[in-house]
Formats: sequence, structure tokens, C-alpha cells
Amino acid sequence: MFYRRAGIRHTRYQDERQLFPLGFDRFLILSVLALLIAAPFLLDRFYLAGYLIPWLIWTSAALGLNLLMGGAGQIHLGYGAVMAIGAYTSVHLVRAGVPLEFAMIAGGLMSASIGIVFGAAALRVKGIYLAMATLAMQYIVDFVISQTPAISGGSLATIQVPPVSFLGISLRGDTETYYFALFVCFLIALFMLNVGRTSFGRALAAVREKDYAAQILGVSVFKYKLLAFWVSSFIGGVVGSVLAVCYLRAISPDQFHIELSIQLLAMVIVGGLGSVLGPFFGAALILFAPIVLNNLTGLVATSFGLAIPIDLRAHIPLIAYGALVIGFLLYEPLGLAKIYSNLRNYMLVWPFRHAQR
Amino acid sequence: MTANGTPSSDRPIVLACDAIERSFGGLKALKGATLNVREGEIFGLVGPNGSGKTTLVNVVTGFYPPEAGTVTLFGENITHVAPHRIARKGVARTFQNLALFKGMSVLDNILIGRHTHMHPSALGTLFYWWWAQREELANRRIVEEVIEFMQLQDIRDEPVDVIPLGLQKRVELARALVAEPRFLILDEPMAGMNQEEKEYIARFILDAREERGVTILIIEHHMDVVTAICDRVVVLSYGEIISEGPPQEAIAHPKVVSAYLGERAAKRHQQQVAS
Repeated sequence: MFYRRAGIRHTRYQDERQLFPLGFDRFLILSVLALLIAAPFLLDRFYLAGYLIPWLIWTSAALGLNLLMGGAGQIHLGYGAVMAIGAYTSVHLVRAGVPLEFAMIAGGLMSASIGIVFGAAALRVKGIYLAMATLAMQYIVDFVISQTPAISGGSLATIQVPPVSFLGISLRGDTETYYFALFVCFLIALFMLNVGRTSFGRALAAVREKDYAAQILGVSVFKYKLLAFWVSSFIGGVVGSVLAVCYLRAISPDQFHIELSIQLLAMVIVGGLGSVLGPFFGAALILFAPIVLNNLTGLVATSFGLAIPIDLRAHIPLIAYGALVIGFLLYEPLGLAKIYSNLRNYMLVWPFRHAQR
Repeated sequence: MTANGTPSSDRPIVLACDAIERSFGGLKALKGATLNVREGEIFGLVGPNGSGKTTLVNVVTGFYPPEAGTVTLFGENITHVAPHRIARKGVARTFQNLALFKGMSVLDNILIGRHTHMHPSALGTLFYWWWAQREELANRRIVEEVIEFMQLQDIRDEPVDVIPLGLQKRVELARALVAEPRFLILDEPMAGMNQEEKEYIARFILDAREERGVTILIIEHHMDVVTAICDRVVVLSYGEIISEGPPQEAIAHPKVVSAYLGERAAKRHQQQVAS
């Protein structure tokens, strides 16, 4: 009902092809953006640093992974390793005195050039076999980083990130760091939105859907599979360096293990493959559901006077969280974004349901 | 005779297949197939099921490199060239079992057909408003012309998997046409269609030749359509060419009748022709 399509008549292709052709969508997205920009003034420091910054960073990473998985249809189980390469490269460069702007790009380039080597496996294998090849990347990169003292400073060492600044703004305070993470996330989201309407995005989708049909239309499957890995790994590397300088501030190899890769994979799948909105929802659910569930069990335990053993209490959120992911895969494989899109489609024509497509 | 009255035998050769051989394991799918398609022709490729028609097309478009023989396109040897490079030489094709991209709209499916005329890049995607928009809109205009030509205006925003088969085939033909090919290969464009849909497609094929000057190679089982729109026909059976010429004569050849209907029918047919 709010999204009313009736009466909107675009007379130029330019208007029809804009990112949000419906006025209400534009209003909604601008409101959310305004809220995000105003967040440091509205929210407590604790919420900003503890919730919003990780949410933005994990969303950015999930968006990069979604370009590969949703956009080009190639599975990747080693995205955490891709981020580790970016993080270590940029942290070492920053420590050597390189400005953050260049260190980030260098981190992205390093991730992209190593990511593309393992991505080359996608030229020969698909599906579960590609999953194994990328899983191998995760373990190889983990091993190389932790076993090379020149990179990690020893397998149990932690490298401090010196104070950095971006475009002349020092990223020491939470507010500045938050705006920096928001800016990176905004750029990546904008890129992903545009992928949906350019020849680049269409070529990736063609490779994802039917590679032989893509070939005869002049799309080189070889080139676009590698390009998908390159761009996605570049984003992963940049986000890895943002994660290191904005959130972790001290990096050690165990922060980029397989758990991170699986977490990102879950965000993409629960959020919605191939959607831009999906990673925002997915990251919020995967990051915060365990916290909420934990508080909820605590609340239930105290209000009903139940004596839940402490180890059970620690595990209940994990059980519920696992069930949630399985539930999504079973009942809404296209994730939270699809639920939103169903709701939006319903509202578009409400109350004339027969007009629904 | 072709579109503008020149005898087809005087026109330049678009596609020449010379003694093509291709086998799958022990099965010889093509045994020295030779054919020439001339500019401006609608060239029919017919034959019973499993006679090697689609294999021949896959050889021409680079999906199956032949074991022997050469494929020449516009005077250039393309025998071992990759499919996406052949596409850039002005070849487009449709597939027997539809190869549309599911989950995308009809419009986006047709826009992919413009790939060879565009310059896709990741940076252009990020800086869409400055680097990509102009090209996208210019190509959109060309796509809209074809959408109008193929009468697909009402369904351009529909997801491609929900429209009926007849329209899906038409979308696939539109996707091939927006590439502005000089040589178009249609693999059973009318399979599974009713009479009305067949007539529509036949009209589009003729119009594509008249208005766009495309040379067309068509594989088709509907003999009424083949005899009505093709200038020349080649009949394949077990990977060999058994008859060639104008459609009515080519399909009346005794070898063709026996390939389709058996020896006895061929004899009866010859007696009828004789009497």
C-alpha cells in the first residue's frame, strides 16, 4: 500500500533503470541512511562500537562474498583467508608508514592476486569440488600465515595496529571509525546495486545460469569466472584491512580461521543469495541472534525461577541458532531478503491481490 | 532465388563446412559432412533424430572441435576457435532446449545479447553514472527496437521462467537478433509450438532476413515450414549428407524418403512418382 506503483510512469529509460524506481523505496532507503548517519548522536558509545561497527564490517564482507556466490554462482569456503591476506598486508604496510588509503588498496590487490590462483580451480570444477578447493585455500593460507614469523610474528603472536587516519581524519575515536566503516560499506553496497543493471553483472549472471549459452553470446566464461574471483577477493581484502584497523586493532591468525568463513557463508545464505539487502539482514541475524537468544534464556530462567545449569545455558543459544539456519534452508532458501521482497510484493498491489505477479 | 533476386549461387559463401568428422566414443556422429551456406539464404538442415544436425551446429559454433575437416566462416578458418570468439565474428544461435537465463527478466535476457557490443568492467559498474550509463541506455534503445520487432513489449519486465514456451522461444530469438549477427543459427525454433506460434516465428525469420540482411541456418522438423521458407536444404542421415538442393526436390529424393519412412515406403513413393 505504501509502495504504490500505480501512477508512476517513467518516460525515459534512464528513469526506469534507476536504482530505486519507486518513490517509496527511495524514501525508505534515504531514511535508513539518515538514521545510520545520525546514529553516533542517538546511540550510546557501547552500541556503536559493539554492534553497529561489526555489523557494517561483516555486512561489507558478506556483500563481497555474495558477488561471487549469488552473482557468479561460485561457492567459496575460504573467504576468511581472503580477508586475512588483506588484513595482514595492510597492517604490515601501515606499520611501515604507508598511509591507510594505499595500504587498503594494496591489501585488496594482494587478496585478489592470491584469491584468483585458487579461483582458477573454478575453471575445472563446480559445486562441492570447488567448495573443497576453496576450503584448501583457507587451510593453506592459515598455515602459511601462522607458520611464517615474518607475517604473523609467530603462531601465537598478536600484531598491534598503530593509530591510523583516513583522508586526514584520525580513526582513533569510535565515531570516526564508525563513519569510516559506514563509508566503505556504502561504496560496496552501491557497487553491488549497480551490478544488477550493468553488462558486467549480466555477464556474471549468464556464467552462473548457463555457461554454454553465455559462451555463444560472446561472454568468455574463463575471463568472467576469474574476474568474479578477482573482484570478490579484492573486496574481501579491503574489508579485511578495515576489520583490522577499525574493529580488531590487533590481529592474530586465529581471528581469520574457518569459523569466520562459515559465519560469512551463513550470512549470505540466511540473508539471501544474489541480493544486496540480504547481507545486511544476514549479518544482523548471525551476529546478534546468539546475543539476543542468550539474554532471552537468562530472562526466562530468572522470571520462571528455573535453575538452568550454566553449561546448558551457554549451549541453548547455539542450539536455537543452528535450528534457525536449518529452518531457513528448508523453508526460505532465498533468505530474509526474499521474505522482505514477498512482503513488498504483497504491499505493492494491496488490496488487489489478484494483480500480484 | 533469395531476398533481392540475385541467384543464390552467385553470392559469396558465408559458411563452408568441409568434410567434417566428429565422433563420441564409438559413435560416429558426423562422417565427412560438407555444405556451403551463401549470403542472404535461409538454409535448412533436416534429417531424422540422431542424424547429427545439432552436432554439426555445435561444431560450427565451436563447442565440439571436429576431428577432421575445416569450418570456414566469412572466408576465415574457424575450426578450433573458442565459442565466445566465434560469437564476436557475427554468429548468433538459439538452442533446441532453450538456454535462457532463469531468474532474470525478459529485458535483461535480451540485453545480454548485446554483450559483444558493450564494454563491461567492474570499475564502470562502481562509477555507473559516469562510465556505464550512456552505453547502457544506447544499447537499451537497440534492444527496444528488437522488442518491438518481435512484439514482446507487454512481457519485457516479466521473469523469463514464468512466460509460456512459445514466448520463451521468441525471447531467445530476440536475444540472438540483438547481437546484430550476420549469420544466425536456429536449432529447432518451432519445437513444441502450435500452428499459430509456428506461423509467427516463420514470419519473424523471414522479416529478419529481409530487414536485417541476416543469413540463416535453420534446423527444423516441421517439413511444411522448411519447404515454405528455406531457399536450399541439406538432409543428413547417420552423419552423412544424403540429399541437397531446393527444399521440395531435396526431400523427395528416394534416399530421404527411405531414411524417414523405410525402404518399402521409398519404393511405393517412386512408383507413385513414375505413374
